[in-house]
Amino acid sequence: MVVKKNIPNIIFIAPAVILVVIFVYIFSGWNVWTSLTDWRIIGRMGKFIGVQNYIELFTNDDTFRMCFLNTIKLMAIFIGLTIPLGIICAIFLDLGVKGKGIFRTIYLIPLSFSFVASATMWSWMFMPDKGSINTLLRMLNLHFLTQPWITSTRQAIICVAIVYIWQFSGFATLIYYAGISSVDPNIIDAVKVDGATTFQKYSRVVIPLQKPATLTVLLILLMYSLRAFDLVWVLTGGGPAFSSEVLATYMYRVTFNQNLFAYGASISFVMFILSFIIIIIPVLIGTLKNRV
Amino acid sequence: MTRNALIYLVLIALAFFYIFPVYTLLNTSLKTDEDIKYGPVTPTHSIYFGAYIQAFNLIKKQLLNSSIITVFATIISSVLGSMSGYIFSKFRFKGDKVIFLVLVLGFYIAPQSILIPLVIFMGKIGLFNTYYGLILTHVAYGMPITTLLFRNYYEGIPQELVDASLVDGCGTFKTYLKIFLPLSLPGFAVVGIFQFTNIWNEFLFGLTLTRGVTYQPVTVAVANLKGTTVAAWNIVCAGATITTIPVVLIYIFLLKMIIKGLLMGSVKG
Repeated sequence: MVVKKNIPNIIFIAPAVILVVIFVYIFSGWNVWTSLTDWRIIGRMGKFIGVQNYIELFTNDDTFRMCFLNTIKLMAIFIGLTIPLGIICAIFLDLGVKGKGIFRTIYLIPLSFSFVASATMWSWMFMPDKGSINTLLRMLNLHFLTQPWITSTRQAIICVAIVYIWQFSGFATLIYYAGISSVDPNIIDAVKVDGATTFQKYSRVVIPLQKPATLTVLLILLMYSLRAFDLVWVLTGGGPAFSSEVLATYMYRVTFNQNLFAYGASISFVMFILSFIIIIIPVLIGTLKNRV
Repeated sequence: MTRNALIYLVLIALAFFYIFPVYTLLNTSLKTDEDIKYGPVTPTHSIYFGAYIQAFNLIKKQLLNSSIITVFATIISSVLGSMSGYIFSKFRFKGDKVIFLVLVLGFYIAPQSILIPLVIFMGKIGLFNTYYGLILTHVAYGMPITTLLFRNYYEGIPQELVDASLVDGCGTFKTYLKIFLPLSLPGFAVVGIFQFTNIWNEFLFGLTLTRGVTYQPVTVAVANLKGTTVAAWNIVCAGATITTIPVVLIYIFLLKMIIKGLLMGSVKG
């Protein structure tokens, strides 16, 4: 009876489960195996060489170290600014002036751009001589504020972060706006009765209640900044001089431009471990906590 | 009064940050080759569509490719996600929670960590550089999020409805067809839009699973336009605009559904 009842259930979830098991879990394992070989030519599998690639990666590869640091830097700038910006946008939308719908739509437009399209657009913004930002600054007689942007080894990774902020702060705004709107109106009334100012209402009561929203935003931003590829590839190409190269672009370059498949696979596995530590473990903890 | 003025000031300043890049993109795309010399900020002297025509001719094959890949992958992944989401939402069986968790966690794993096996696999089964290969890839990596979204959507449909239908002698399949599918239209709209925009905008799989223009998606084509020095900036900007138009229109006109999708996927995730 029980078995019979289960058959349709199995058929209904089978496509999803089979696809994810193969494409996510088996492939991840396959990738680990690849990273333990010396494979570099298409068509011939490599010899097993143990953790040799990882030793090379962590002791001998300066570019890898740089990419690792750049990835962390990108995450820090991107997340550190997107969350406050999202909160500010959400609060100002929540203040409820006429026409806030239009502003909300405008803030969300960047989310509809592909990374390729936004990278294209922003590389035009960031051009040092003819680019929009420097042109605008010159028109406003603010010459001293013009920057070399993506042509500078110091600023390239910041430029990448700026575009990420542009693209994702609408998402953060949306989540915070939803969180702020769902604060119990009784609490808001109580705050008003107590004579709190608008500033106090947000800083003391509403924002501290936004922990779940912050977790959601943090998780998604971490995920997207770890896998950052398209935007970097098209905006800066990882340059100048690897100054904006991140793990994902380095992995691609090593694997598909230099054909060092096994070495590329070891970089991918480092990314896998990172996503495990910073994303999957927190999700698991959250899920377990919710159930208890 | 001054309070409102201050609020508007901030709202407008923020809007400027989001809109100014888009303005320079559109402005440049409408310029003639001659007019580009005046830079991206100075308003275009004429509304000129020459760059659009040239860009369209350069990427029309890839626009078609992206349309085919996106439409099929969106439909298939939404249907499969609604089926599994229905089971995970309304039926309890041994290990259901664990299977669901394993499935959904797939969403968080960076595509780079499966990229090399994926390319080898597609080569081995003869789907490298085909529509099928890309559709299959997008469907497979869409399963975690479509399952999650539909599971959350179906949580809103009362369990009693399922139980009553099962008591009436309708099986899992009939209950799905007769009760869930007719109630699923808003769910399909939300998930479909979510999938459509993600797949249309995807770049990495398109870049690694195709060679040449025959099956290349449009994001790769635009990246190539920008990468070559052959195309002038007005053409590059026009190309980027053309690929963005379908998604922006969806965003502006179906904003409510987009918001629903984002909230459904993340807050309850």
